[in-house]
Amino acid sequence: MRILIRTIALVFVLTMQLSPLAAQQPRQQEEFTPIDQLPPQEQLPAAPLLVGAYAFVLLMLFGYVVMVSRRLSTIRSEVDRLDADVKRIGKG
Amino acid sequence: MPKWFQSTTLLCGALFAISPFVIANAPYESTMGLVQKVFYYHMPSAWVFLTASVICGIASARFLATGNPRHDRTALAAAEMAVLFGLLTLVTGPLWARKAWGTWWIWDARITSSLVGWMIAWAYLILRKYGGPGSEKLSAGLALFGMANVPFIYVSVNYWRTIHPATTVVPKLPFSMGFPLLFCLTCFFLLMFLLMKLRVHVAEQQARLDAIYLSLDEQA
Repeated sequence: MRILIRTIALVFVLTMQLSPLAAQQPRQQEEFTPIDQLPPQEQLPAAPLLVGAYAFVLLMLFGYVVMVSRRLSTIRSEVDRLDADVKRIGKG
Repeated sequence: MPKWFQSTTLLCGALFAISPFVIANAPYESTMGLVQKVFYYHMPSAWVFLTASVICGIASARFLATGNPRHDRTALAAAEMAVLFGLLTLVTGPLWARKAWGTWWIWDARITSSLVGWMIAWAYLILRKYGGPGSEKLSAGLALFGMANVPFIYVSVNYWRTIHPATTVVPKLPFSMGFPLLFCLTCFFLLMFLLMKLRVHVAEQQARLDAIYLSLDEQA
């Protein structure tokens, strides 16, 4: 009997807690109404996609050029350092 | 680097700076509207990606046949171009598709085979970097598969059902859309040529540096 009372109490508490959630749910649809076009607030704008595509291309190309240039300058400075070392050892 | 390289770089930079104005003057496409203008950077990127894959394959075949390291350096530079321009193609495509098709990605023959081609180019570079001694020849073999994939990518839209535009779109373009495309193709191919030249030069300098270290080791 005690178990039954506890179970009923638990169900009652849970139901009370869930009721605000149920109140927030959208109203049940009884029919679908067709429209020709999406409402303006739901249409996907093209401009951010277009600008994003062009910005991505230019950024990646610029990044690659910078990366290769840095690699080249690192190699050149290393070659210069080695040349200087070789000359110093030759003189010594 | 030779003197003409700097002047050609300036020319390429100027063409890229002008390209947004040329694209802005192109007419809108009737069904896709503004977002179709992604096409003017997307398609040249794709063509450069495919061309670089073919160059990588041919240079690799010549390297395997002759053992000349010059061909290997060309193949390496072309593989980097394939990765770079493949990435541009695979990112700009979904940005266009999201608006035009309502989805970022579809697993059709064209897009999937492009992704496979891009991953082969990546695999080439990873193998070169981490494969250890002898990886040049292994990666050269891989590049042949990358090249073999290119004709499949190109014709896939004509043989398999897809919503990707067919290859017949480009020859049928009106002048108002064809000129901006030709302009951007010139920009991208010129850029690919310059970047490849620069990358080959870096590889030559690296080879020179390795040779100096080797001679120092032998003297020591």
